Amino acid sequence: MSITTTGPGASARSDAPRQGGRSNPFLLMPITLFFALLTLAVLRSPSLTTSYGLGAAVIVVSPLILATYALMASVISGRGTVDLSVGPLIGFINVTLIQLSGAGIISSPIAVFLYAIAAGALYQFLFALIVIYVRVQPIIVSLSGYLALSGINLVILPRPGGLAPEFMAEWGYGTTIFSPPLIIVLIATGLWLLFTATAFYTHLRLMGSDERAAYTSGVQISVVRIGAHLISGAFAGLAAICFTALIGSGDPSQGTTYTLIAVTALVLGGASLAGGRAGVFGSALGALNLYLITFSLSTFNFGAVQSFVTNLAYGTILVVSLLLTLLIPVIQRRIPNFSPLLYFVALSVVVLGVILHASFDYRSLGAAGAVLPGPLDMQAALTGPLEIAIVSPATEALRLQAAPLVLSVIVLAVVALFLRLAITEAGRRREIGMATGVVVAALVLAIAWVMSSERPAPPAQTAAPVSQEVAE
Amino acid sequence: MTDAARVAPRTPLPLGARILGLVAGLILTGIGIIMGFAEAVSVQLVILAAIATLALWMWGWHYVLGQFWEIGGDSEDGPGPIRSLWNSYRWPLLGLAAILLAFLVLSATVTGFFNVWNVISLLILLTILVLTRTLGRQFQQNRSAFIGIMVLSGLFSVGAMNIEGFSSAQNIKSMLLFAAFLGLASVGQTMVALLGGLDLSIPFIIGAANVGLLYLISLGVPPWLAMIIVLTVGVVLGVINGFLSYRLQGQALIVTLGTGFAISGGVQILTSIGTAYSGNVFGTVPKWLANLSSMNGTTFGLPVPPVIVIWALIALVLIVGMRTTVYGRYLYALGVNRTSANRVMISELRYWVSMYALSGFFAALTGSLLLGWSGGGFIGVGDQYLFLTLAAVVVGGTSLLGGQGGYGFTVIGVLVLQVLSSFLVGLGLNFQWQQFIFGLLILPMVALYARSPHIRTQI
Repeated sequence: MSITTTGPGASARSDAPRQGGRSNPFLLMPITLFFALLTLAVLRSPSLTTSYGLGAAVIVVSPLILATYALMASVISGRGTVDLSVGPLIGFINVTLIQLSGAGIISSPIAVFLYAIAAGALYQFLFALIVIYVRVQPIIVSLSGYLALSGINLVILPRPGGLAPEFMAEWGYGTTIFSPPLIIVLIATGLWLLFTATAFYTHLRLMGSDERAAYTSGVQISVVRIGAHLISGAFAGLAAICFTALIGSGDPSQGTTYTLIAVTALVLGGASLAGGRAGVFGSALGALNLYLITFSLSTFNFGAVQSFVTNLAYGTILVVSLLLTLLIPVIQRRIPNFSPLLYFVALSVVVLGVILHASFDYRSLGAAGAVLPGPLDMQAALTGPLEIAIVSPATEALRLQAAPLVLSVIVLAVVALFLRLAITEAGRRREIGMATGVVVAALVLAIAWVMSSERPAPPAQTAAPVSQEVAE
Repeated sequence: MTDAARVAPRTPLPLGARILGLVAGLILTGIGIIMGFAEAVSVQLVILAAIATLALWMWGWHYVLGQFWEIGGDSEDGPGPIRSLWNSYRWPLLGLAAILLAFLVLSATVTGFFNVWNVISLLILLTILVLTRTLGRQFQQNRSAFIGIMVLSGLFSVGAMNIEGFSSAQNIKSMLLFAAFLGLASVGQTMVALLGGLDLSIPFIIGAANVGLLYLISLGVPPWLAMIIVLTVGVVLGVINGFLSYRLQGQALIVTLGTGFAISGGVQILTSIGTAYSGNVFGTVPKWLANLSSMNGTTFGLPVPPVIVIWALIALVLIVGMRTTVYGRYLYALGVNRTSANRVMISELRYWVSMYALSGFFAALTGSLLLGWSGGGFIGVGDQYLFLTLAAVVVGGTSLLGGQGGYGFTVIGVLVLQVLSSFLVGLGLNFQWQQFIFGLLILPMVALYARSPHIRTQI
């Protein structure tokens, strides 16, 4: 958006090397795509932003995000380690979990988590050992693992069925946002962010981008590789738990789909399959983007060709966004210190306005028909909070009516302030960081307010009729 | 293997070795003749077989021993023979011991396991292992082809002994038929892999061609024209793939996957416009197309499905062409080192795009031929080729990093995979066990020859 058009100040240029490690211009694409899709999805179907809609989204997206994390951890380690077997591995943990819990061996949550993480980590440990000592290309190992695991999955559980462990029974309902899968994803993300602060992570990235350089500078590349794979395996185990919670049973044949979707999400998130560059932020955005594509397309009624349109859109968006990454060096040359976080916050403010507009129920305002809000109403609304006296019902209704306007004004003000901050203080990260923190906190509060003051919105209310009604 | 022969200058064998070889060859031929007469085969055949046996044996003796003589000259000094044997063959020996132990345990526990056929199978397995570890070292250039052929012959002989009807003409024909489909689908993957790329759009183009061809035929387009259209579209899609992935070579895997999704979705939308059956196309496949790829098809009167002949011809053209033409050599040059190839004015873009175009063409061809085989359009017909083409290329010994291998290797890889899967079917294993064993076997097969050097040797 606007930030990309601002020229860098002199101070920014001098600070560029210091910021180099943090700013990742490859996040530009996923962020833009994310907000574009989010806007489309919300305008098409405002029910997405209800508590139910978000809850369902969380449930569906969490295994995908974790699967992408699993792929990410091993992709960073280089040598073209695209773990094609991540889908079958999730399927394997899923079906064994179902069978074990069905046999009554594993039932407590702790045992389930321990088993899933240990199984994933063990598989990835073997993977790493083969890559290190047999020295076969990782993609061949993963191909081999893909075939073997998807075969054995069907042996363990020939057809979808079984029951998830009892404590997971309510996880898959998706009625609230703060469901356990969300917490799992948040904890996993937090742990990875903590991990990025360690020297081990630096070694991992060094090894991923240039293994020879890492070896010659004394990095224990075998240990680092094993570590990356262990983390990947743990993520795969968590993904399997969320997947089990989502479907509430066992399904042996999800392998291909999950592998392809996770690789797609990883690349959409701006990771490099060659190694050395990948992150949780991008991976999560990539997975969310995929969900939003499916969700947006499902709001259109294509009838029988729905799945084909989804395929077409998937492929096209994937290719186009990959081609657009070719532009990133050009952008980078113009803006040396692009801050994805700033960009994200700026866009999210804009999109929050759109969400408010889309999800606000204008029809609930008054039976007398909507009045086009004039300057007088705005005046009343702005001064309203300062009045202590008890207001008449008419004023009350008026105030309610003007609430979205007030909010949009506030949003606009925040955007303006924010852009101002971004332009003037582009070089100094500390100040920006504080401002970002404030804005993010404000955003969180605003979202919480939207959630709490929610009314059941009519489903599939599109933007066009709403604006017509306002205009009447 | 002729390549290795060209590379290694042949040294004359000592007299003793030659006489030993001659005697062994004569004994072998004698056994053949006696067996032939005992089985009451016609005299002409026996004589022919005897001459062939002797000639092959003598050639092999000279060839293989010549390789040894040249290299194994100065291994006298150092630790004692047993010690040095242990040092150089430690892991294979341990592996052999493990296999023997497993066999003993199995014979002791499973009743009826210890019979003649299993013992012979074990011996064949051990021979393959020993030969690949000992002789395989001598074939620096074409080690994967050598190992592939060893595995192929071993698998085939074990299968022929243990499974009834495995070596019957009917079974061999069906194996070749399926191998032909996989082989044609893998042409593009091999070519692209030689440049260091990957093409995951192959299965989607196969499915799209399969559905698209039947759709065109059902619209009333003459079948030959429809086929030409489909093949042209395949080439066009390949060219698009090539251009799109050229700047994103590291991500070729994912670019082609994306175009594959788009192609498969787009074709299905096209074919379902105006019909009530979404994604299903109905129509009649012309006779000549069905004849091309059905089990009882005939080529000019011979009882061989034409698709096998087509595959053999294409394989021949590719193998010879890649070796002898400038175009083929340039391809290898590009695969090995882009920079130096660019310095001698080889256009990387042209080769990259044309290899993807080839890939699209052969995927469309496979899809069309599969229509003749199945008789009905199905978009998912190519799904199994997503990873199987990759496996065939890898098992054959073409490096995914580019510059090494060739279509001849892929042919061996395809045959190994096909014989292995027929063998597993013959053992009565169902699909999931087959896949499991496939997965477990690909790794050791590749590990026999495609190990990359240790990082410390790359600096």
